[in-house]
Amino acid sequence: MPTPILVVDDSSIARKMLIKALPPTWDVQITQACNGNEAVAAYRSGKADVMFLDLTMPDMDGYAVLETLQKEGLNSFVVVVTADVQTLARERVRALGAAAFVKKPVDPASIEAVLREYGIKL
Amino acid sequence: MLETLRNFIVSEVGVGIFAVDREYNLLLWNRFMADHSGISAQDALGRNLFELFPDLPQKWLSKKVDSVFMLHNFAFTSWEQRPWLFPFRHNRPITGGIDFMQQNCTFMPVREADGEVSAVAVTVNDVTDVAVYQSMLKQAMAKLEESSSRDGLTGVYNRRFTEARLLEEIGRVERYQADTFSVILLDLDHFKQINDTHGHLGGDEVLCEVVARVRNVLRDTDVFGRYGGEEFLLMLPQTGREGAVAAAERIRKSIASSPILYNEVPINATGSLGVATYEVGAPKVERVKAQADLALYASKRAGRNRVTFYSAQMVDKELGAG
Amino acid sequence: MTVIALTEEQRDALQEITNIGMGRAGALLAQLMGGFVHLSVPGISLADADNISGTIAQTVGRELAVTAVRQSFSGTLRGEAMVIYDERGCRNLADLMGYEDEIGAATERELLLDVGNVLVGACLNGIADLLVSPLSYSPPTLIAENAEVDRLINPDQLTWDYALLIQVRFTLEIRDFTCHLLTLMPEESISQLKKALDAFMESI
Repeated sequence: MPTPILVVDDSSIARKMLIKALPPTWDVQITQACNGNEAVAAYRSGKADVMFLDLTMPDMDGYAVLETLQKEGLNSFVVVVTADVQTLARERVRALGAAAFVKKPVDPASIEAVLREYGIKL
Repeated sequence: MLETLRNFIVSEVGVGIFAVDREYNLLLWNRFMADHSGISAQDALGRNLFELFPDLPQKWLSKKVDSVFMLHNFAFTSWEQRPWLFPFRHNRPITGGIDFMQQNCTFMPVREADGEVSAVAVTVNDVTDVAVYQSMLKQAMAKLEESSSRDGLTGVYNRRFTEARLLEEIGRVERYQADTFSVILLDLDHFKQINDTHGHLGGDEVLCEVVARVRNVLRDTDVFGRYGGEEFLLMLPQTGREGAVAAAERIRKSIASSPILYNEVPINATGSLGVATYEVGAPKVERVKAQADLALYASKRAGRNRVTFYSAQMVDKELGAG
Repeated sequence: MTVIALTEEQRDALQEITNIGMGRAGALLAQLMGGFVHLSVPGISLADADNISGTIAQTVGRELAVTAVRQSFSGTLRGEAMVIYDERGCRNLADLMGYEDEIGAATERELLLDVGNVLVGACLNGIADLLVSPLSYSPPTLIAENAEVDRLINPDQLTWDYALLIQVRFTLEIRDFTCHLLTLMPEESISQLKKALDAFMESI
C-alpha cells in the first residue's frame, strides 16, 4: 500500500521541486496543499502519514499548522522544508513536534537521508 | 597571448590589486601596490599581509576578509568612513591638503569550480580627487550658509545671527562656568544728518568705513553684528567690565580719529557706545542688551562720542525720567 | 512601451527563489544580532515610475524618518537594491550588534553599510545562484539619513517607466528592529529575468 504523504507549500514551484526530490523508489500517494488550512484538513482526513511542511506561508503558516497538529495529538511524521535556515527556527519546529528539518532548495540526498534516518521504508 | 594580456592589465592598471589566501598570505601584488608601498611583488608574494604591514588595522581588516570567505559575498570600505587602508602618498602634494591617498576598497571572493572561496581579491581605488572635491564642496556650502548670516552691505553678521551667537554664549557661560562676556552697543551719531547731507550712498560709505575701522581693533573671537540702520552690537567673549570698556574706547577712537572720505569730501563721524557685562545666573539675552542700551542712551545724553558702562542707577534715572 | 509582466508561473518561481535568498540573509542577520528574525512572504510587484515613491512608502510604512543604503548589482540581471532602516532600527543597530560604548558617526555609518551589504549580498547571491546568473556589486552608499520615505527616490531623475520590485522585510523578534530590503530591476532587466526564470523552471 502506498504511503499517503502531504506536501504543503504556498508555491507550486516549491511543491514541484520537493516532489521531484523524493526518492523514486518510494511508493507514495501524494496530496498537495497550498496553505495551512488545507494542510490541516488533509491531515484530518488521513492523507498525511508523512508531511512536508513549509514555514513561511500567508494566513496560516507552518508554525500554526504544527501547533494545531500538536493539539490534535500529532499523528504524522512532519518534515519541515524551509528557506528559513536560522538555528532558532530549527529548534522551534522541533519543539512543536516536527521530526526533521530540510533546507531549501531541497536536494534529493538530504530528503533520502532524513527518511532513512527514521526508518521509513523506501 | 590572452594570459600575457591579462597579466599585463592586472599589473599595469591604475588601481591597486592584491589577493590573499585564508592565512592572509599574499597571492597577488600588482604594480600599483608595489609602486605605492615600495615593496616589490617579489618581496611581497607569499608573505603574510599583516607581517608585511604591521600597522594595518588587523582586527578590523581580518573581520572584513573573513566575512568574504564565510559569506562568499563582496565587502567594501569607503574613504568616507575609513580614509585609507594603506598609508600611500597621494598625487596632490601641493593642492591636496590631506594626509594620505584616500582609498575605496572592494573585497571579492575568488570562487573555485566547486563553489568554495579559495582567496579574496582586493582592489584599492585612489579616490583622493573625490575627497578633495567633496571637501571643496563642503567649504562652498559653508560659505553659502555663512553668506546668509551676514549683512549684505557691510559684511558683518546680521541681527539674527548675532542674537543666535549671544544665546550660544550665554549657554556656554552658564553650562561650563566659563568667564562671562560683555556686550557693546554702538550707534553712529547724527547719522540721519550724514544721510541728508551726503545722500544714502554717502551714508553707506560711512557705515562700511566704520565697520572696517572697528574690525581693526577687534579680536578674532569677538562677534560683530549690524543690529539696525546705524546700530551695531558687539559681543566680546571672556571679557569683563574693564576689558570691554577699553575695547569700546578703542572703537570710539578709531571712528573719530580721522574724517571719512566720500567722493573726496571729508565726513566727520563719531559713535556713542554703551557697555554692559553679562551677569552670570541671569540667563536672559534681553537683560544684558537692555543694560547696554541704557548705557548707550546715557552716552548720547552726555553729548555723544563717548563710552558709558551700565550702572544700576541708570534704571532709577530712566524710571525717574519716565 | 508595453508592460512586460511576469506570468503566474514566473512570479511563483521568483517568489520561491527570493524566499531562499531571504532565508539566507535572515539567518545572517540573526547571527549578527543574536535573536530570531521573522521573515515575511516576499512581495513582488511591478512598480510604476510615476508612483514609485508612494509604492515604497506603502511597503515600508510612512515612518517619520528612514535611513537607507543603496547598492547596485550587475550581471545578466541589473538593478539596484536598497536596505531601509527605520528610525528605531537605526538607533538600535550598534546596540544590537554588541557595541557597548558610544560609537562615532563614522563607525555607525560603517555598520549601516556593512549590514546593508550583507543583507543585499546574501539575498541576491541566493537568487543569482539558483538562476545561474552571477552578480557583481557596487560599493554600498548611504542615500538618506533620517529622511522622509518619499524622498528616497527623486522621481525627476528616473529613466525607466516600470521596474520590478521585490520587497522583503526582516523583523527581529524581541528587540525593536525592522529593516526592509527592496530590489528594483528596470524594464530591460525584466526580460532577462524572465528568461532566467524559464530556464530555472525547466531545470526542475
